Formats: sequence, structure tokens, C-alpha cells
Amino acid sequence: MDAEQLGSWEGEDVSIGMIEPRLAELRHRDDGDPAELRTSVMTHIAWVPQEWEQAAAVTRSGLGARHPSRAIVLYPRPDAGSDRIDARVTVEAYGLPGLERHVSAEVIELWLCGNRCVDPASIAAPLLMADLPVFLRWRGRPTFSGAGFERLLELVDRLIVNSAEWRDVPGAYAEAAAVFGRAACSDIAWRRTERWRASAARLWPEIAEATELTVTGPAAEAYLIAGWLRSRLDVDLELKHEEAESLERMTAGETPVPEPAGDEPTPSDLLAAELDLLQRDRVYEAAAEAACQLAPLAA
Amino acid sequence: MATQTSRRLQVADASPDGATVENPLLEGLRLTRTPEPCALVIFGASGDLTRRKLFPALYSLAYRRLLPEQFAVVGVARSAMTDDEFRERMQAGVKQFGRDEYREDVWNPFAAGIRYVSTEFASDEGEDQVTATLSELDKERGTRGNRVYYLAIPPDVIATLVRELGQRRGTEGWTRLIIEKPFGHDLTSARELNRRLHRHFKEDEIFRIDHYLGKETVQNIAALRFANGIFEPIWNRQFIDHIQITVGESIGIEGRAGFYEQSGAIRDIFQNHMLQLVANTAMEPPIDFTADSVRNEKVKVLRAMHTPSPKNVIRGQYGRGYVEGVEVPGYREETGVAPDSMTETYIAAKLFVDNWRWADTPIYVRTGKRLPRRETTIAIQFKRAPHPPFAEVAGDELQPNVLVIHVQPNEGVSLEIGAKVPGQGMAIRTVHMDFLYGGTFRTGLPEAYERLILDAMLGDATLFTRSDEIEEQWALVDTVVAAWRRDRPHFPNYPAGTWGPPAAAEVLSRDGRAWRTH
Repeated sequence: MDAEQLGSWEGEDVSIGMIEPRLAELRHRDDGDPAELRTSVMTHIAWVPQEWEQAAAVTRSGLGARHPSRAIVLYPRPDAGSDRIDARVTVEAYGLPGLERHVSAEVIELWLCGNRCVDPASIAAPLLMADLPVFLRWRGRPTFSGAGFERLLELVDRLIVNSAEWRDVPGAYAEAAAVFGRAACSDIAWRRTERWRASAARLWPEIAEATELTVTGPAAEAYLIAGWLRSRLDVDLELKHEEAESLERMTAGETPVPEPAGDEPTPSDLLAAELDLLQRDRVYEAAAEAACQLAPLAA
Repeated sequence: MATQTSRRLQVADASPDGATVENPLLEGLRLTRTPEPCALVIFGASGDLTRRKLFPALYSLAYRRLLPEQFAVVGVARSAMTDDEFRERMQAGVKQFGRDEYREDVWNPFAAGIRYVSTEFASDEGEDQVTATLSELDKERGTRGNRVYYLAIPPDVIATLVRELGQRRGTEGWTRLIIEKPFGHDLTSARELNRRLHRHFKEDEIFRIDHYLGKETVQNIAALRFANGIFEPIWNRQFIDHIQITVGESIGIEGRAGFYEQSGAIRDIFQNHMLQLVANTAMEPPIDFTADSVRNEKVKVLRAMHTPSPKNVIRGQYGRGYVEGVEVPGYREETGVAPDSMTETYIAAKLFVDNWRWADTPIYVRTGKRLPRRETTIAIQFKRAPHPPFAEVAGDELQPNVLVIHVQPNEGVSLEIGAKVPGQGMAIRTVHMDFLYGGTFRTGLPEAYERLILDAMLGDATLFTRSDEIEEQWALVDTVVAAWRRDRPHFPNYPAGTWGPPAAAEVLSRDGRAWRTH
């Protein structure tokens, strides 16, 4: 379902205080009718470094219709040369099937230039919707112990990462595990393995005898599945991994895990699934913690 | 926590010492509910329901991969058709009435399991033919003897067909019956039908369908009441002034004179949909959301409803009038309707549930054809604020709060509250707070039949009507119909495009209340 843009406003070197009044103006209709009906179920903050900008735009375009939210997209530009915030504020409308009415959602895009990207929490905090859960989608590999990340983490109910975007798995899972107790954490790579995990679960109890797992697929997904089996079955499982763009094959011991039926979920589907979760995913946490203990072996 | 587990997954196994061990790999998996392999047999498959509702629903389930991999559908009807002709007809229905885009890669594998048997219902020969087809499908499609029989057939042949099916039950697999309304035409016939059903099938194998119960917004009544701490404490006679339930249709009888002349509004809507809405609104919190817990609470409400006095039950029949700017004929002018027909197309009633929670709280219900618009709503009107402290506002100007559950269309919930008009002084105006399903959960709402067919395949009867519920519903209807036999109202008594006869408004005006009109 495509969004119709009801209006937008752009500004350079803006203050955060300017954003809310601009949004209110954009929601207000000129024809004397009441302001646009705004529906939100969350505030969705996205941290999008330059190299992830395009991928983030694609995911967000497939998402808005499913999770009406106030989206705050933060584009860090530490090397921009000056310290300022540039903004683009958009009100989007989604038609209601069978009705002439529509609901609006808000997108606040902020380019954090120079030192303005040091403390993103102080920028996002005044813009959060009251009483609604806050989700943070962090593109790329977070600096888990960085002050900016830490402050942002205090603001949110759920952190969503995609460990497939990290180059240093499985070691990075140890750092990620340090934040598990402080915010609920989701991993898109983990969600992507769900179909295969369901398929593997059908092999229980035989699969509990396996001492070796062979996976052809992205490293993050291979480690997470191996970590999952280790933690759930309490076995000392070894992983043999062959890199591929998507999960293609999996063998537990001598037993091939049947390829799951159906299409692979899109990035928007995966993110949408994470945005439905509010509690900690302790199965994931245990899998990530177990994954960082794995020593990689070539398949 | 595993949310919904598939029965196909092995959830438990016996350990060497005999203890049951749960599959540890299932925790955290968000698995869809997928039924076991089975064949769905639709009796009455050439009817509109199959083409407009059942097959589009099955296609949507296939689209979402919610059907078992080993699945087959057998259409059974009198009309002569080949398998291919039946498939083509159903394919056209899916394209025309389905909510999902038509995709060959979804339809083709689904269509490969479709068969058609042309036969008289409940003839020995015909049933043998159905049984033989099902046996073939067990071999070809792996449906393992599991059967769901969907009875979309005239009530007079249900009992015979049930006997035929009961006598042909195989030893392998399970059997479930889905039965479309009408389920009997009075208490005696409903009891008799239940008795005949129970001769061959257990109650947990019988799924009496009321498609209203499959609607998301009807299920949301329970979510609204029992998942929110703020509503249940005030959901009683202390805080609620009265309840209004409207099931309005702007359409007429749409060529179904034969059926409607026999049923009228009381049997078409009141006996089933309306009383189910009352029961869902008024029931006590069930201890859990299993079939029997929920149905136990609903049946208590039905038992607690006392017979309304004749002056509190109004029937009507529409005459010629205008609906959405178009002049439409009166009921007696409809094709197939007797020119002196006394069938009611409208019923309004003031009901009471005699229990601790609802004593003396009227539940006003109305349903009719050719009303100004299609609307199903449950309006909970709360008592007025006891003492408005604002000098400029007279007490009777303050509107009471109304919580409206919009079942259809515009599915959602709205709350009317008083708010200060900006400016000097203290003017109060009623404003709406809206929660629109389509606006918040922006996935398309599943059709009621999708949910209900899937639940029946899974053996989950929560959203189906139990035998004692049906009998309580008919008991109430019988008393109303008995009272109606004593008089002969002047029909037609409301023009098409209006909210019913004036007497219906009087039921509320006598109590100092009025029907909601928008």
C-alpha cells in the first residue's frame, strides 16, 4: 500500500523545537475540516549511517502501511564540516480500504552534522510520542559501549539490529550480549532463520544427537542457528559454515534439514515482525551468547 | 514462549523412562496454526455461499500457507458439473470475491485437490460416490481419513445427510461437521436436530457456524473487555445506563424470498447474530479462552435473559421508499413474496439479563432490512456525570459517554467524551476518540469464514455455537413468536430507508431514551 504525501517541510540548521509546530501545520487541513487523523502505535527511531541510506529507505517504504508510527530517521554525518541539524518533515497518508478516510503518519528525517551526532538521544527524546513504545533500528554495527549508543539505548524499549550487517560475528555477539539486560533486543538475522529453525524443530528428538551442524548461508545466520541448537539442546555442537547470500542448506549431523516451504520474507516483513514484539526474546539472547563461543570451521 | 504451535510439529516425546519431554526447539518459534491433513467436503457446493465466501476464504488460507500440505476439497451438489467446470467456477469466484491478489502459483496447487460430485443430498448412491472420492483422495493427496463436512444445505435434508455420514464414518482419522444456519426453525426442531446429530457425532465434532463470531471486531469485544483494566470495573449496571445493539442492512432480500418468507428477521438475524452479540457483550469473564469456558459464560447470559413483554418487542415490514437516493420496492412487492405477506423484516426489542451485573439495565436491540445504512454496532451508553460543576452548562446538555463497538463497516471502537470548547467560558462539546482497525493494524482484516474454517480444521470450537446455546436462543425466540400469533399488525409499517416503525422508537422514548441514528 503506497503512501500519499500530504505535505512536507524542509529546513537547514534547524532547532528541534521547530519540528512539532511544522508537523501540526502539515496535519492541519486548509479546507476547514478537522486535522488529519493521526494513528500511531509506536515511535520508530532509525539510525542510518550513509552507507545504509538506500536500504533503509526501501525497508521503510514497505513498512509504513503496516505499522503507523512516528518515524524519526537520524542520518549521522560526522564529517559534514559544520555542526548543525538539517530536517525534512513529512506527513504521509494511508488510505483506508473501502473508506474515503485515511490516516496520517509522520516522518521526521534529521541529518545530524558534525558534533550534532554525538548525543542522538538528546535530539530524539523531545520528539517521542507520549506513552507509546519506542523502537530503535540501528543500521550497521553499533559501538555497543559508545556513549551516544548507550544514551539512546536508555530511551528505547527495543533495540533492533541486523547482525548480518556486522563483519565480526561471532565475536560481536559477546558485546551485544552486554546490552540484553538493558533493552529488549531483536536481530533481523535471527528472525530470518525462523523458517529454518521451525524446519529443524521437526527433526526433534533425533536432532538432539547431532554433534555437528553444516550451514550454507550468511555467517550471522549460521552462527545463530548453531548457537540456538547449542543453547536449546545443551549440546557441544560444532559449526561448519560455507558462505552464501541466503540460507541455502543445513545439515544436522548426517540429516539434512528440509528446506522450508514458501517465499523468504522481505526486509520489511522481517522488521515488521520485530516491531510486533515488546518483550525480551530470551531464546535469541541465549543463542547469541552461545554463538560467540563457537569456533568457526570451514565446511 | 511458543505462541501458536503447529500440530504437525512433534511437541512432545516419551523419554526412556516414560516421562513426556517437551520439544525444546519450539520455544520462541512463532509458528502458524496449520491443521492436520484433511479433506473438506462442501455439501451445497453449487450455491452462492461456496463461490462468494467459502472458496475465497480457502484461497486466502492457501495464500498465507495456512492450509495443510495434504489437503483436498470435494464439492457436492445436485447440479451436473465436471471437476474442471467446478474448478473454473470457483476460480472465477476467487478472482471476483477474494481479498487477495489472484496468483496462479497459489491457485494451481490448491486447485489440484478440488473434486466435484454431482448427486442428490443424502442418497445412498450419492454418499457412496462421495465416500469413494474421499478414499481416492486419501491415497492421492494423503488426507489420512480426516474429514471436515461443511453442510451448506437446506435444513430439511440435514438430518438425513448426517445419518448417512454417521453410518459411513471410517475407522481412520477424525470427522468434523460444520453446519450453516438455520439450525432448526424453533426450539423443538433445534432439539430434534441436536438429538440426531448426537446420535452419530460427539458435541466436540459439531461446529455450528455463526459467521458473526468469526469477525475480528466481535472477537475484539472480549479483548476490549478483558485485556483492559479500565473497562471491566465499569461494565455493569452501576455505570452503564443501557446498551443499544443495531444490526442494520440497507439491502432488501436480494432474491431470497423463498428463504426469507420462512425465516423473517427474527430467525435470520435475531435468533443467532443478535443474541450472540448480546451474549458476548454481557457475559462474565471466562476463566480462559477455551471453547467450553467461553461458551459456558455465554449460555449463562442466554439463560438469564427473561422473556420480553409484547409491548417491548416491535416487528415491522418495509414498504416502498428510498435508499441511498434510489427508490426501492416494498417487501410485498419483491419477487416471490406473497402480496399479503406477514413476514417481519424488522424487529426491535428491549431485553434484560437478570443477573447481578445487569439487573434493570435495558439492552435495546434492533435489526432490519432496508434501513438507511448497513451498520452493526454495539453502543454502551454510560450514565451521565452526576453533577456538572460548570455554571454555563445545564446538566441535560452534557451528553453521556458512549463507547461504540463498530462491528461493520468501519471496524473499530469509538468513545464519545465531553471536552471544553476553546475560548472564554466553559462550553462543553462531545468529541469522538476513534480507534479504527484499518487505521491502526494495517493488515487487511481476515474474512470471518477464513478464521472459522481454519478453526474447525484445527478442532477449536471457541467461535462456534454449542447445542445448549442454540436451544436457549430458540427458547427465547419461541416465546416471542408465540406472542406474535395473537395479533396481526398493519404491514408495511415503515418506509424503506428509515430506521423502522415508529413503535420501535416508542420503546425507548417511554424510558426517556432514543435510538442512536448516527
